Amino acid sequence: MHALTVENASKTYKSPPRPPLKAVDNLSLHIPEGQIYGLLGPNGAGKSTLISMICGALKPDPETGSIRIFDKDVVRQTDQAKQLLGIVPQEIIVEPAFTVEEVLYYFSGMYGVPQAERRKRIPELLESLGLADKQHDKARSLSGGMKRRLMIAKALIHKPRLLILDEPTAGVDVSLRQRIWELVRQLNAQGTTVIFTTHYLEEAEQLCESMTVINKGKVIKEGKVKEIQQEFSQNIISFELYQSEVEHLAGVRRVGVEFELPFRDLVQDMRGLLDFYGDNLKSFRNEAASLEKVFLQLTEGGPTP
Amino acid sequence: MTFMWALYAREVKRFRKLMLDTVFSPIVSMVLYLTVFGVVVSAKSIGDISFLAFIYTGLLAMIMVNSGFSNPGFALIIAKNLGSILDLQVTPLRPWQIGIAYSLAALTRGLFTLSVALALTVWFIPGMTIAHPLSLLAIVLITGLQYGMLGVTFGIWAKGFEALTFGTTFVMQPMIFLAGVFYPVGQLPAPWNLISQFNPIHHTVNLFRYSFVGYADTAPLISWAAVLGCSTLFFGLMQWMTLRKLAESLQ
Repeated sequence: MHALTVENASKTYKSPPRPPLKAVDNLSLHIPEGQIYGLLGPNGAGKSTLISMICGALKPDPETGSIRIFDKDVVRQTDQAKQLLGIVPQEIIVEPAFTVEEVLYYFSGMYGVPQAERRKRIPELLESLGLADKQHDKARSLSGGMKRRLMIAKALIHKPRLLILDEPTAGVDVSLRQRIWELVRQLNAQGTTVIFTTHYLEEAEQLCESMTVINKGKVIKEGKVKEIQQEFSQNIISFELYQSEVEHLAGVRRVGVEFELPFRDLVQDMRGLLDFYGDNLKSFRNEAASLEKVFLQLTEGGPTP
Repeated sequence: MTFMWALYAREVKRFRKLMLDTVFSPIVSMVLYLTVFGVVVSAKSIGDISFLAFIYTGLLAMIMVNSGFSNPGFALIIAKNLGSILDLQVTPLRPWQIGIAYSLAALTRGLFTLSVALALTVWFIPGMTIAHPLSLLAIVLITGLQYGMLGVTFGIWAKGFEALTFGTTFVMQPMIFLAGVFYPVGQLPAPWNLISQFNPIHHTVNLFRYSFVGYADTAPLISWAAVLGCSTLFFGLMQWMTLRKLAESLQ
């Protein structure tokens, strides 16, 4: 079964006199249950609009397709769909009046979690997120990283089967990022399907089995992370010269202080390079395409293999 | 029902945490009005009642109207500014449940503030009794809910604090002050006496005063019809606004 199915969904923002903006354009996604799935795209790609439609904060355009969470339609079976979904928004949102416990107590009540169950779940969840000693503190007094963890606790308090994290590691330090990754892996191991959006391609490489890249409201690439990397691998020899103002081999292009040569046969082309530049060759390396490069090629319409 | 009660309990907790602002601030204003207008001009009487008793009952109505309107109005605008409005959108609460929970919290704040105000200030009016207890109970409950519903409508409609200031300063305050809190509207020259009849808060003030001390500017039956009519209208407006807006982005 798919944890999330989006079929031909569209969302148009209308704010006259400006022309209508189609933030999500006939987009389809099928995310299998049990995965950690990456949703990538530059700013303004339509990720947040898509997430808002999934969580029920925005209505898709009428007469467009459907969005289903574990086969529950988010428009027609809203209540059941919302129970299956936990969402960690991009912005840290903290109610200044309430303590950490109160935030979770009332929020889980709004999901219909019974009082006794709430009293039991809150300390357990705070313990697992390293916030046990902050239970009675005002939420606004927490540090940035702790607030982020409180947001994750809010999303998990009703035990959803699908968790969506909208850029959870934006602006957090390295150790917290590692902690969030660890938490995502743990949750996934316990059976929660996790979708997260990110700008950090390293995260997609580290965490995700599969990913979808969207731009201008459309899916521009989807599949296994490793396969996408291989597909876009450019087979390039990067090299530096002692003296760069010389005649160059055919096909060589300059990139900053370095030069690049696309190759077909590594051994043969390397030999050609050594023969041509001889002692002028300072260093060289064979570079695999990083996801960063793939991402830029896909979203900026750069060269594709 | 857990869903709705949790939201109701959260909103009650919110005003209880900010009691200096939500409960005691209107009471301080009330005491100042009583001192300035009531004690200084205490020699005058209106009908069979003292001017002090006249404005006292009007001020109690004002507290109830203001508490009802402000509680959801401010809570929703703050939620929009913080982004915590998302809590209402992602949880399986129906728009009508959200409206009712906020209105009930508004009524609770009104009842609480009114009780504290009465307990602290009733000594201003020697020999104060309640002329029509059942009528008083009904108008108190209806006012809290009615202006709570208007506050929900306004809080969902308003884009930011400026709109809220506009609502309180340019709509609610003039309506309250022109509702006959400090003077009997029947003594106003034409056409102002007639125009006052179209101010819904006048009928609330009139029924508060009638229920407490038995004095009414406008026939109580007319005021009941106006109050019930307005309640229905505000309920309809709230339903329309929550349904129309809560499923769309509020930020």
